[in-house]
Amino acid sequence: MSPSGWCGSPALDMAQLSESVTRLIEEFAKLPGIGKKSAERLTYHVLRVGSHEALALADAIRDVKQNVRHCSVCFNLAEGELCSICSDPRRDRGLLCIVEQPRDLMALEQAGSFKGLYHVLLGRIAPLEGVGPDQLTIDALVERVRTGEFREVIMGTNPTLEGDGTALYISNRLADFPVEITRLARGITSGSVLEFANKEILADALAGRQKF
Amino acid sequence: MSTEKSLALVLRLVDFSETSVIATLFTRDFGKIHGLAKGARRLKGPFESALDLLCLSRLVFLRKSSDALDLLTEAKLERRFRAAARDLSRLYAGYYVAELLDELTDDGDPHPELFDFACETLAALDTGPQPVSSVLMSFELSALRVLGHLPLLDQCVECGTEMNGSGRVAFGMLAGGVLCARCRPGKPKVVSLSGAAWQMLRDYAQSDEKRPSGEPDRRAYGEVRGVLNQYLSHLLGRRPRMHEYLGVLAS
Repeated sequence: MSPSGWCGSPALDMAQLSESVTRLIEEFAKLPGIGKKSAERLTYHVLRVGSHEALALADAIRDVKQNVRHCSVCFNLAEGELCSICSDPRRDRGLLCIVEQPRDLMALEQAGSFKGLYHVLLGRIAPLEGVGPDQLTIDALVERVRTGEFREVIMGTNPTLEGDGTALYISNRLADFPVEITRLARGITSGSVLEFANKEILADALAGRQKF
Repeated sequence: MSTEKSLALVLRLVDFSETSVIATLFTRDFGKIHGLAKGARRLKGPFESALDLLCLSRLVFLRKSSDALDLLTEAKLERRFRAAARDLSRLYAGYYVAELLDELTDDGDPHPELFDFACETLAALDTGPQPVSSVLMSFELSALRVLGHLPLLDQCVECGTEMNGSGRVAFGMLAGGVLCARCRPGKPKVVSLSGAAWQMLRDYAQSDEKRPSGEPDRRAYGEVRGVLNQYLSHLLGRRPRMHEYLGVLAS
């Protein structure tokens, strides 16, 4: 069946499709946020484009699964033993920011204002979901702080109850080390107005006020 | 499909997609519900920061048919549980309250009295000077009382004989309360309590303000804790998850 034969097909009857097409639809449908209709649309697209483009997608998926692993130091995503941040000599090695997931690290990197190192916990302590401190990279973090030369550790966990709880647990574990422990500021967003801020945000802003 | 409003405590959050979550909430007027909150993780939106664990929020939601998830359309934050900023044991105690509410209540079965007491308990854990052990024991026994699971403490669960607490008192896990000397023989899973521990159980099980709030006597507390832990594990069919994290729940 030629790829062009799929263009504009209104609805797919799974029984009429070849086994390969059905499999591709099922695989796409497993992706987060992709339902059956979207999976069919993506499959049409793959069938429509040239072999080179379609196989480039397959190769990219294979490469990412074969080459990408966690950095042996900070647990960020890396293509070798160390990630690009840990192996960058220009980073400030006295500053360490702790984040929950690699995507939080990416968000902070996109802000472009932090030049220190990171430590990725690969989750947060969520006892109700059965996630305890042992399932995260906290022991590696403590060892890193013990043997490293950090002057400040920044808690960059999400400002949720579980994120704050994780930060509190870690700060207790690091309490005996000669490092300053700080956390990200919270409160009113720049450009907003006080009138529409909810009382909890205002309370956070007042509690975290700083010298002018 | 009708729009409903209620005060609600957030008991559990499960990621559904990049920005949406499925929330389990204990509402004051509709009991426990499960709802989809689309875009809940966005900074700007109808939920702002009102859907975090143990937040007390004013909720608007669309009720769906019996099997489907409700659709949460708006939530306004009333009070945030802030114990995570200072004390892990108070944070874990808050999680324990959420665990008990989730496990002991049924979907769509409202208990306004329990809801109010859960809010008071979280406020006490958050700000009050009361010891965690005392606050949690009050909550556990109040939850059991409101939900009809409170063991019979004043009279023998088998024959109705009034108990006076002189000497040791037998507590039957399976019987669901205390047993007199005549009814005790042959009963499985019976533990023996001192008179002080039995009295402590009765004091904390009271519904009014006579309930103690100070640091409980250490020895009697250990006995009561042992009984309560076993009783709750029996009721839930497993050991509560937070028992592993909370030293004050150790018997």
